[in-house]
Amino acid sequence: MMCSPRSVGLSLFCSAAWMALAVAPGCKREEKKAVAVEAITLGVVLPITGREAKPGQYQKEGIELAIKQINQAGGVTVKSVGRKIPFKEIFYDDGSDQAKSASFVERTMSSDGAVTVIGGYSTALGEAESVMADRYKVPWLTPGAAASAIFNRGYQYAFGALTPVDVLGSTTAEFLQYVVDQGKLKKGSTVALALENTDHGIDYGNGIKHWIEKHPGSFTVVFSETFDLGSPDFSGLLQKIKTAKADILLADAHLQDYITMHRQYIQNGMKHLMISYGARGPESDARKALGDGVDYVFAGIWWSKSLPYPQAKQFTKDYQEAYGREPDSWYAATAYDSVRLLVKAIETAGSLDKTAIRDSLRTTELSGSILPGQTLRFAANGQAQNPFVIVQNKPGGKVDIVFPKDAATGDVIAPIPTSG
Amino acid sequence: MAALDWLNVLVAAILLAGIYAVMSVGMTIIYGVMKIVNLAHAGFMMLGAYFAYELFERLHLDPLLGAFLAFPVFFVIGRLVYWLFVRWLPVSDQPTLASLLLMFGIWLVLQNLAYLVWGNEDRSIFTSRTFLTSQIGPLTVSTLRLVAFAVAVVSLLVLELVLRWTWFGRSVRALIQNRYAGQLAGVDTRRTASLTFGLGIAFAGMAGALLASLYSFNPDFGRPFLIRSFVIIVLGGLESASGVALGAVVLALAETVGILFVPAGYQLAISFGLLVVVLLVLPGGLARLFARKYRPA
Amino acid sequence: MRAASSIAAAARWVRPGGIAILLPLAAWAVLAAVPWIGVEPNLVRLLFITFIWTITGIAWNLLGGFAGQVSFGFAVFYGLGAYTTALLINDGVHPYLAFGASALVASLASLIVGIPTFRLRGPYFAIATIGVSETVRVIMTNLAITGGASGYRIVEKRPFDQAEHFYSALVLLTVSFLLSVWIARSKFGLGLVAIRDHESAAADVGVNPLTHKLAVHGLAAALAAMAGGVFARYAAFIHPQGVFAFNTSVYIVLIPVIGGLGTLWGPVLGGVIFGIVEEQLVATFPEAHLLIYGALLILIVLLEPGGIIGIVRKVSRHRRLRSAT
Repeated sequence: MMCSPRSVGLSLFCSAAWMALAVAPGCKREEKKAVAVEAITLGVVLPITGREAKPGQYQKEGIELAIKQINQAGGVTVKSVGRKIPFKEIFYDDGSDQAKSASFVERTMSSDGAVTVIGGYSTALGEAESVMADRYKVPWLTPGAAASAIFNRGYQYAFGALTPVDVLGSTTAEFLQYVVDQGKLKKGSTVALALENTDHGIDYGNGIKHWIEKHPGSFTVVFSETFDLGSPDFSGLLQKIKTAKADILLADAHLQDYITMHRQYIQNGMKHLMISYGARGPESDARKALGDGVDYVFAGIWWSKSLPYPQAKQFTKDYQEAYGREPDSWYAATAYDSVRLLVKAIETAGSLDKTAIRDSLRTTELSGSILPGQTLRFAANGQAQNPFVIVQNKPGGKVDIVFPKDAATGDVIAPIPTSG
Repeated sequence: MAALDWLNVLVAAILLAGIYAVMSVGMTIIYGVMKIVNLAHAGFMMLGAYFAYELFERLHLDPLLGAFLAFPVFFVIGRLVYWLFVRWLPVSDQPTLASLLLMFGIWLVLQNLAYLVWGNEDRSIFTSRTFLTSQIGPLTVSTLRLVAFAVAVVSLLVLELVLRWTWFGRSVRALIQNRYAGQLAGVDTRRTASLTFGLGIAFAGMAGALLASLYSFNPDFGRPFLIRSFVIIVLGGLESASGVALGAVVLALAETVGILFVPAGYQLAISFGLLVVVLLVLPGGLARLFARKYRPA
Repeated sequence: MRAASSIAAAARWVRPGGIAILLPLAAWAVLAAVPWIGVEPNLVRLLFITFIWTITGIAWNLLGGFAGQVSFGFAVFYGLGAYTTALLINDGVHPYLAFGASALVASLASLIVGIPTFRLRGPYFAIATIGVSETVRVIMTNLAITGGASGYRIVEKRPFDQAEHFYSALVLLTVSFLLSVWIARSKFGLGLVAIRDHESAAADVGVNPLTHKLAVHGLAAALAAMAGGVFARYAAFIHPQGVFAFNTSVYIVLIPVIGGLGTLWGPVLGGVIFGIVEEQLVATFPEAHLLIYGALLILIVLLEPGGIIGIVRKVSRHRRLRSAT
């Protein structure tokens, strides 16, 4: 009954491997504590692969543009240290996976010493990440997750630069009423709702429905259903929508589904007086995929490069210089301004203490913001409340802001002209 | 719903079946002959889509032509992959874990290579034909879908002819039925396997190129199709191209019609529910059901 | 994937009184002391994730490695465990009771799934498991009571104590490992291997395939579910596209395969690779980690199907032969 050398060797190897692999990552970090503050560590956790890769990429670009500009000017003035300190970005790709997302945020908060974490594109990733903010008491900023559910949980360290999606819904309804008032649509028009099966879609639908309830007689919802993300075929859903014979189609979808659905919509020869895909519409990928098919689609978005503010134009120019193309839709803009607001908050707080920064984020206002309303500030629950702009795709690749009136760059075209 | 709407739904289902059939054929023959569940099928479809895209972007080649070109190109790629990786797999008449994992590994590699080369943006092929519609009686259908359907029908017919009338086809059928008996009968298993794998990948590439005209794609492309291909393999059984066609039609009908009665969110559940039910009730697939009826006593 | 003597070999390693048991015990003691030494939370988190993955790997290994039933939809039990725990904790049930309840729910589910599907042979079983898992995922995505596609948040009254989570995972891991050792050395385990090697022959010598498969399926499901529950409690937010994902099922398969299918330490090694190496990989090569992963998988499948343990064995066998001549 001797222990064979083989079995000893094997268990030795296994135990050693386990221990080595387990302890090794921990050892490296021990030396970091004693060093003086050389940079402000900013954790960024966004998807650049997977489902949400594209918008995640844009948000990363917005953040990095802001960091570059700030670091070029010397950095952030921190009173407690007495000089300007540059940002150091630590980026993690969460691959659009919410478990990884939460894990990386935890890692950056606990191990990298991040002073603030920016990230969470899309609701699921945002929800997962938001848990860590209060757990580790590190401020967390999301320029990409808009579900009000995240901000109604009483978190103390979570902030969102996106106005809630139900406001998008009510703004859309308000916009349609504005179009009715112009005489372009008739009162009491019927509406079909096709919502993606997420917080985003459901919030959007609720925003519209509540607005309609508060304004009886304005519109009638004749069809409302949710659909699964990432479906290759929407024939059944589109058939149901066709049967509902509504005047207006309001869908809420992610970019890929918007493209797939709209393509099939046109191929099925469907028509509505107005059509929208929620916060998607002017994306260049969509125009590339659908050509003239995207004409007259309108969308409610958090920022548009057509905004007349000089700072918005400057941002568009800087972005174009840095990345060789114009910002696509709103994604990079909210991320960009989140960093700028953070800078102002740190400067106001005067220190790099995380709770001090959090307190400062609660009250700081970024004037000269590129977002609609030109001010970025967080409401009591941590979420921004900037107004939306409604944009409409026009023929020839043009995108006009059509609502609110004072920001409009063009007239809304309704009903959608039918050719032939 | 009016009768016209029903007709619309049915036609949509049939056209969808064409798409499903063309994408599953590749997986089916590889499974039938080599008992390998080709998880990399989605990866090769994705490559086929990018193939058509590149030809379109650089040489302005019509994507339909691209799809036809994809066939021989991916046949060669398939035989190469077989020679490099697949032939080392242990031979078995049951699918092995090794084959499942190897193909999954290949899929991961293909996906990531595509990310590195093309990045993560959604691409699509937009031509003047994208929104063309044809009138069939009172119905308006997308011309592209008709074309995809036609290609599916033609390829299945050609496949059926090959399986029935050529020596290669008979070898394939022999190996599908019983690998060892086939060897005894003189079938060169290595060569047949290599050709079959090539053929399977060729179909995958062609399907991907075809689908590139219909859908937008990125390196993740193909996953929902992969899963539906499983369902079709199970539904249709493995003996013939008609099995694939049958499976595709049943799945497409179930999905398109089913969604009229069920909230749209449950669309996938219909496919999978169908899969599970068929597996439990008819382990040999629907085709086996028909075959049993007509086998001589 | 033939490792016919793996069970016997496995049993030999844990002979009481040998050095073979002292070393792992020492390693275990080190791990147990980790939260006390005052190591940073990130390391505790990494180890925690490793434990969770390892537990699911051990669980799958019982079904797929010992009994040879390849399930590609094992995430369904992990997810069921996660959601059951989440719902119960939010209802005020004590977390440990919730974990136990998850195990029961998953075992029951495994019966419902197993009785019809174990009749199937070949790839049909694997495909059926995928079908079941995906169906449950779609249903959970639409079910309002569990939050649907928005996911479900767990709100615990107690403050977050990372050490407690760490220990619950470590205890579960220890239990799972010891369970797998016990099965390996038991007649039940021999029956499982017999079924894996040749099911009809096993039936001929008196091993009832169905009861054995159902039993091991139930155990494996229970372990996976508890792992899911422990994880859910830590993450405090779960989501159908995460816990029920096809990718999760595949990772659960990869862990024992890369480590060494059908062995005792294989899932442990695989779990370590998955928990620790994978994260380093993703952090360092966000653009290429899938590539490395896929290539590793291909190499293992083609060159050494026995996984890492298989490689170690071959090396030690060569050493022994060489020293003997």
